[in-house]
Amino acid sequence: MNWQLVFRFVKRELRSTEARILVLALAVAVGSVGAVGMFADRVKAAFANQANVLLGADAMISADRPLSDDFAAQAAAFDLRTTQSTRFGSMVSKSSGSGDAALSDVKAISAPYPLRGVIEVRSADGASSGARGARVALRDVPKAGEVFVDERLASRLDIKVGDTINLGKNTPRVSQIFVEEPEIAGNFLSASPKVLMSIADLASSELVGPGSRASYRIQVAGPRAEAFTAAIKPKLGPGQRLETVRELRPEVRQTLERSEQFLGLAASFAVFLAVVAIVLALRRYLKRELDTATLFRTLGAGRRQTLLHFVGQFAVLSLIACAVGVALAYAAQAGLAFAVRGLFASELPAAGYAPLVKSFLTGLVLLLGFALPPLVALASTPPVRALRRDLPAPTGGGVIASVLGIAAVLGVVLLQAQDLRTGMIFVGGIVALVGSATLLAAAVLWGVRRVTRSRSKKPWQLGLANLDRRRLSTSIQIACLGLGVMTLITVGFVRADLFSAWQKSLPPDAPNRFLVNIQPEQIDTLSGMLKERGQAAKFYPMVRGRLVAVNEKAVSSKDFVEDRAKRLVDREFNLSSSESLPPGNALVAGQYGGDTESGTLSLEDGIAKTLNVSLGDRLTFDVAGEKVALKVTSLRKVDWDSFRVNFFALIPKSTIEPLPKSYITAFHLPANDGKTLPMLVNAAPNVLAIDVSEIMERVRSIVEQVAKALEFVFLFTLVAGLLTLYTAVVSTQDERRYDTAVVRTLGGTRSQVRSALIAEFSLLGLAAGVLGVLGAVALTWTLATRIIKVEFIPSPGVWLLGLLAATLCTLAAGWLGTRSVLSTPPIQVLRENA
Amino acid sequence: MNATSEPNTNANVAIAADKLVRAVPLGDRTLTILDDVSLRVNDGQTLAIVGASGSGKTTLLGLLAGLDRPNSGSVSWHGETISTLSEDALAKKRQGTVGFVFQSFQLLPALTALENVMLPLELASNPDAEALATDWLKRMGLGERIDHQPRQLSGGEQQRVAIARAFAASPSIVFADEPTGNLDTDTGNEIVELMFKLNRDQGTTLILVTHDLELAARCDRFIRLARGKVVSESGAA
Repeated sequence: MNWQLVFRFVKRELRSTEARILVLALAVAVGSVGAVGMFADRVKAAFANQANVLLGADAMISADRPLSDDFAAQAAAFDLRTTQSTRFGSMVSKSSGSGDAALSDVKAISAPYPLRGVIEVRSADGASSGARGARVALRDVPKAGEVFVDERLASRLDIKVGDTINLGKNTPRVSQIFVEEPEIAGNFLSASPKVLMSIADLASSELVGPGSRASYRIQVAGPRAEAFTAAIKPKLGPGQRLETVRELRPEVRQTLERSEQFLGLAASFAVFLAVVAIVLALRRYLKRELDTATLFRTLGAGRRQTLLHFVGQFAVLSLIACAVGVALAYAAQAGLAFAVRGLFASELPAAGYAPLVKSFLTGLVLLLGFALPPLVALASTPPVRALRRDLPAPTGGGVIASVLGIAAVLGVVLLQAQDLRTGMIFVGGIVALVGSATLLAAAVLWGVRRVTRSRSKKPWQLGLANLDRRRLSTSIQIACLGLGVMTLITVGFVRADLFSAWQKSLPPDAPNRFLVNIQPEQIDTLSGMLKERGQAAKFYPMVRGRLVAVNEKAVSSKDFVEDRAKRLVDREFNLSSSESLPPGNALVAGQYGGDTESGTLSLEDGIAKTLNVSLGDRLTFDVAGEKVALKVTSLRKVDWDSFRVNFFALIPKSTIEPLPKSYITAFHLPANDGKTLPMLVNAAPNVLAIDVSEIMERVRSIVEQVAKALEFVFLFTLVAGLLTLYTAVVSTQDERRYDTAVVRTLGGTRSQVRSALIAEFSLLGLAAGVLGVLGAVALTWTLATRIIKVEFIPSPGVWLLGLLAATLCTLAAGWLGTRSVLSTPPIQVLRENA
Repeated sequence: MNATSEPNTNANVAIAADKLVRAVPLGDRTLTILDDVSLRVNDGQTLAIVGASGSGKTTLLGLLAGLDRPNSGSVSWHGETISTLSEDALAKKRQGTVGFVFQSFQLLPALTALENVMLPLELASNPDAEALATDWLKRMGLGERIDHQPRQLSGGEQQRVAIARAFAASPSIVFADEPTGNLDTDTGNEIVELMFKLNRDQGTTLILVTHDLELAARCDRFIRLARGKVVSESGAA
């Protein structure tokens, strides 16, 4: 291959509009994939870091027996920071007190701790005036002979800093009273007051020995935590578990997943739009290259030589475009990160280069997927075309081109969507849209033929007749413009409606305090007190039961493979009842019995899957020694984001009535209300009050950050969309300019030409608008109901606006691209096209 | 008569066509564009092919130049049959043997005048492509315009670039398809003068297709085609 010639052609080609649009389209595609991918990764990493604070680490391995040092060594191999701890329950009492003791959640820790987040204590400010100080971070761990206790334990046992407590055989000194420590994940309904001790004192305390129920843990944190967990998971032995925040907290998991979905969707849209632009630009570019190929062949270049030259030329063009795209991506994501710098609690984690590599490869795959087959055909251009320009262009690569091109797009979209389901919905949507576009274009052309049948045509009829003459181009333009319109409307919808629907699921007054262990006789008092403060809290009965049999066959954790299932069987279920399906619950199978039938059970869908239980199965629970057999009659999806009181298992009132039970309620307490809770706890001292405002605040902040991030990503998609629309409109500009020049040469007046062009572009825009709006309605409905799972709110105003905007934009772009023909002498246009 | 135009058999034959037939399918029937055409052209001769539109002139030129293949019959250059060569071998053969001048110039718009002239030389891996091309453009009086793109040149200048491109690779045969068709009379005359001069100087064989009988009359010979057959011929063989 003559590289000198190749480079000279590339240099010269880059002066042409066709090559520039192609390079720009590819650069935008690569730029979108790269920028959105990189930015999304950084944002996701930031979210994950914030969420991981709830675990105090990125991941944790826990076991019933001490863990071997291998785990720490392997974590070190992944450059992760590690810390070991042992967690167990123990009675704690003040050494010099009344002898009151409280069951506490004790953790023996060593520095560094925690790996994510901080231990928070009250600042000394205002302590003298009796006000509670602000929360400040403590950068310390208990030394040997010292403990940190939490405010709840301190208040219950009247412990002050400097006091000593009885902890096993030891009497350590309390050196700090803390408000919260990071690890608040896990089952908060069983939360006990917390004590942090030094791991150095563990042996001498004799609290943990053979047979005692303790959890031995290694926590890890670092950029490669995910790779480490993936590597370690298959090596876990019996009794060893891997825990991440996603597995522990359903509401955080759901929020993170939705955030990723939103960002992934926005990126998919950008890619998709750019793909359309590439296809259009490529078509126009290859048409131009046909003359070059003909000349090559005429001047004695063989097929191979011609093919190699074009492949080389394309490879260089692609590399340039991809490099521009990657630079664009890097700059854009840095710009995005700079623009949202104030939104995140800490600086965004550094960008990884994987998305850039991915975007570069995406660009190459896309262009070669679409270009290679037509290039093969181009190389076979018969040289006689130099004499006979009217000979059709070679089309040998058509079928292969389509198959390869479709495969390339599907591959990229699936890769971008990250999960198969979303990807398939996307792909299905594209296939349906291309089908609809073909049908719609056929219908439009049929209509055009009918209105332009008369012998003496008015100018606008001539314009419409042009659409019919360029049937293939018209169909492609309607499809591409329609795709562009659909994507823009959908992105707008995702950004606005879907997002607000999600945000609404977490209103500012969502419950942030739970009261657990309420006795039946305390309900009236507590309910009255809450009512006085405008809180109409609902009290749910709660019975704790251990799952002992499925379909009369005894089960234990050993019968299950999945970790989550083992844990579920090991611990007690909270069974409750509700007359009707609780808010935020949706029935997915069976009938919700409510109170009509005793002995029925409504299970959360996810847990049913984990336990491999389906409708009609019989589950037996051990409730305080009594066996309760229940038949699964319905399965529910639960909206965990809502922070309402939710239960995995609901049973009828008649079944729960005779069982020993307590009640649970949830209500919203404003941040500045320091009186209500102590009052409630005074009225019912046995009640455990749990504060979930911290978790909620984190979830809410993630939602807000996603909203902002999405705004920026949306801008990127918008650029890709506008480029696509422009490319679609100008793709037939040359033909139009030539036709118009011929009409003017034959005596057509400017106003006749203007009417014809307006009619042509208006109809094109209208057809694309109809297609785009219909596509957008179908796509947004699918996204809302099948993927994001929020209510679909029809917005006819937006649809009408989309239709109008599509028509006007097409008209404007078309007019701008073609109007110069009105002021250029026709002979000049004809000569240029000769 | 059997459409033949036999040259002097003793001279060195540059091109020989034997019973050429070219037909294309047209719906369910076949349209014969050229029917049993034979001719010979000697080295250094000039031949004009004339005829009405649709008579088959350009088709014949395409076959003689090895750009197209006959349905039957054969074409040979300097005694070597080219009709049976593979596509790539034929392309290779064209590289050193033939040059082209087209009615629509066929210059690549993105390349400069110099790069357009260099193209056939570079495709043939000629290491002196730039020097040769520059020299040819100067001979064409375009020394000042070698870095201009085709759109910056007049029609006559573009055709001179095309002529330089045709002669730069030192072909033994030059084919010209209506070389003055897109030019005004004066410019057309200039171009014709130039082509004939170069043809004489380089000793090339020139075969051109034209409507212009005056131009045809300047050639050593001309043949007239009608409905795909040679109907008359004139000039010395």
